[in-house]
Amino acid sequence: MIELKNVCKSYNKGAVRAVDDLTLTVPPGEIFGFLGPNGAGKTTTIKMIVGILAPDSGAIAIAGRDNRREPLACKAVTAYVPDEPEIYERLTGLEYLNFIADVYGVPARERGERSRRWLEAFELAAVAADPIQTYSHGMRQKIVLTGALLVEPRVFVLDEPMTGLDPRSAHHLKEAMRAHCDRGGTLFFSTHVMEVAEKFCDRLAIIHKGRLAACGTLEELRRQAGDSGSLEKIFLETTGS
Amino acid sequence: MRRLLALLGAGLRQNFALATIRHKFFKQKQERWLLLLFALGLLGAAPLVVGYFIVLGRLYAILKPMGQETALLTLAILAGQLLILVFGLFYVLSAFYFSRDLEFLVALPARPFEVIAAKFGVILVNEYLTVLLVVAPAFIVYGAMAARPIAYWPLAALVFLLLPVIPLALSGLLVMAMMRLVNVSRKKDFFILAGSLALLAAVLFLQLGLAGTRGPEEMMRFFTAADGLARLLGEKFPPCIWAARLLAEGFSARGIGYLILFGGISVAVLLLLLWAAERLFYRGLIGLSEMAARRTKLSAAALAERFARRRHDWQAILLREWRLMNRTPIFLLNGILSVVLVPVMLFFMVRSGAGSASLAFLKLLGSGDRSAEILFSAAFFIACGCLNGTASSTFSREGSSFWISKVIPVAPCRQVAGKFLHSYLVAVLGVLGGMAAARLALGLSWQSVLPAALLALVAGAFLTAINMAVDLARPLLTWTNPQRAIKQNLNVLLAMALDAGFVYAFYRLFVILRRAGLDGRQLILAMLAATALAAAAALFFLGRIAARRYARIAA
Repeated sequence: MIELKNVCKSYNKGAVRAVDDLTLTVPPGEIFGFLGPNGAGKTTTIKMIVGILAPDSGAIAIAGRDNRREPLACKAVTAYVPDEPEIYERLTGLEYLNFIADVYGVPARERGERSRRWLEAFELAAVAADPIQTYSHGMRQKIVLTGALLVEPRVFVLDEPMTGLDPRSAHHLKEAMRAHCDRGGTLFFSTHVMEVAEKFCDRLAIIHKGRLAACGTLEELRRQAGDSGSLEKIFLETTGS
Repeated sequence: MRRLLALLGAGLRQNFALATIRHKFFKQKQERWLLLLFALGLLGAAPLVVGYFIVLGRLYAILKPMGQETALLTLAILAGQLLILVFGLFYVLSAFYFSRDLEFLVALPARPFEVIAAKFGVILVNEYLTVLLVVAPAFIVYGAMAARPIAYWPLAALVFLLLPVIPLALSGLLVMAMMRLVNVSRKKDFFILAGSLALLAAVLFLQLGLAGTRGPEEMMRFFTAADGLARLLGEKFPPCIWAARLLAEGFSARGIGYLILFGGISVAVLLLLLWAAERLFYRGLIGLSEMAARRTKLSAAALAERFARRRHDWQAILLREWRLMNRTPIFLLNGILSVVLVPVMLFFMVRSGAGSASLAFLKLLGSGDRSAEILFSAAFFIACGCLNGTASSTFSREGSSFWISKVIPVAPCRQVAGKFLHSYLVAVLGVLGGMAAARLALGLSWQSVLPAALLALVAGAFLTAINMAVDLARPLLTWTNPQRAIKQNLNVLLAMALDAGFVYAFYRLFVILRRAGLDGRQLILAMLAATALAAAAALFFLGRIAARRYARIAA
């Protein structure tokens, strides 16, 4: 469902290699956790997958389509939630959701039901008609997630989605993502929370200094590292230098 | 003092994006062509500056035999200070209360007066750049033509440095008083807007009152008295007279008296601002971002009703633009309100008998030349509709939310179409306002107003597309204060320069067509056809570059 082939991205005219020859495949039905220290290239990779940044070389395909040759087809099946919920503060939550539903072409009869379900789950129903400006950081994160869930895309790309979420909302999100992948969808997400990655992901990748340092199921990572310890220990060893 | 200097230094670096400039141009070595563009822009402005010097020189030559040459200084100082007072109001409001660094600054162990002093310093530096072109040429022309002694020049520099202090500090005091009152209300946005408009109306009233109607005898008395014209110009804002006389008298006893008066009042008003900052600033600021929230849960039926309508993607973009523009006070003031304000100001200026420019305009229109009347009316309507920052900040206004435009499955050209319709709608409102002013204030006939409006609407499409293209080439997305996205955005200035160039080209085409023997209906139809062709080309160009630029803009 998501395929990265020899993807490279550098800044400062090549002086800083943010992503270096990254090759990854995330098949349908999989929850894929993307780990790495700060500045390792996680957000750059995610931004290239969703089309915010263009890779210097290599190719990225979503649902079998090249995201640079057919960007609209790729965007139509992908929902993205950034690490910082920078959205239109002067719109109300409902107006934002209606905007997202309009641009993704969600049918009118379905958007009401889907919105209600997720607004209730994230405890936003009472504030949905208020301006986003009045929301806390966590509430903004949840309205962006509601917008993404409203679309019901085939691919979710979430950049540190648990940051700022209360435990109940994090639980609902994990359940929703599990159900989504069980239906054949794909979730690609980055996180710094090792416990979440360990328990929640089908497969994991660790990126370090722009290069893929390890990739596989937790068992495979343990074998690659020659260590039967926790994911945190493997992570620290893999990214130690 | 050290803390104040640290705050001021950080504010200046943030305001002029010095770190970004150094990083981008000298470290990353990217977009260096912008430096060239900037140099070309300066070069392009050179003829205007030279023209301004020539006009001032001629004005001096006219005033000198009447003994009224000081009026040149008063006029320049008055123009500079009123410019600061009118535009400074919104600038101060935005910088003091709506910049995103405030939450960080409030948490620092700094006193309110230090925060205000640092912000005031940043605004002051910006205002120097704003009034430099208005005031400095007048000082130079006066100094050179009156053969002033060498001591004149440091005094001129001192007056220039003190010039924005009084109007800016007055703006600051008015804004702080207003915000202290507004912050007790739950509907803050509404009261901020209403309060700003009331302040602006008060300032305009002062400005319009400056050239209020006087009897011929009274006017003659002003002209015959030495320095009378300067007194007439500056009587509603005495600091202008003090500053002008200080420059005229130099280091004589009277001159030093004016220096003490002008410098002393400037320092006193500044100290008053800092004193008021200690008492009013945080009370007006804290809790400002807490907007009134209803917190009422909608029923399933009400929710379904809110989601009942599905719009086309371009309609959704248009609606988003409309809402974001009109709900952000700074954007609204620079968008729809500014297009409404120009005709309203013209109306009141003409009705009050003030404003020699509008009277000259009237005279020109009254010459009985219908084609010229249509052309000049069209130029006025174009100015009403397009000389605002709506189109030229349409991408910049998205700021850090631009990532949404990059990930949604809507083709860039369709997104641009939605944005174009929004900007064009504002331009149409401006043209309608201009039509109303032309009919009601200038008394023009429909036979002139309607073809002029048609010309302006077509030209408006061209200028909207061009202004959007300017912003699309290099949108300013990293702003922390909405003022920067529209008022301090170089794209807006560049687009206005292009608009002015277009109006000039529009006039030249008129002259050429007339020399070619066209007149009346033929002339207007030819102008309309040429403008329509230009509009079609500009829209085609905008559509073509949209996809390429959207892909390259980093969000």
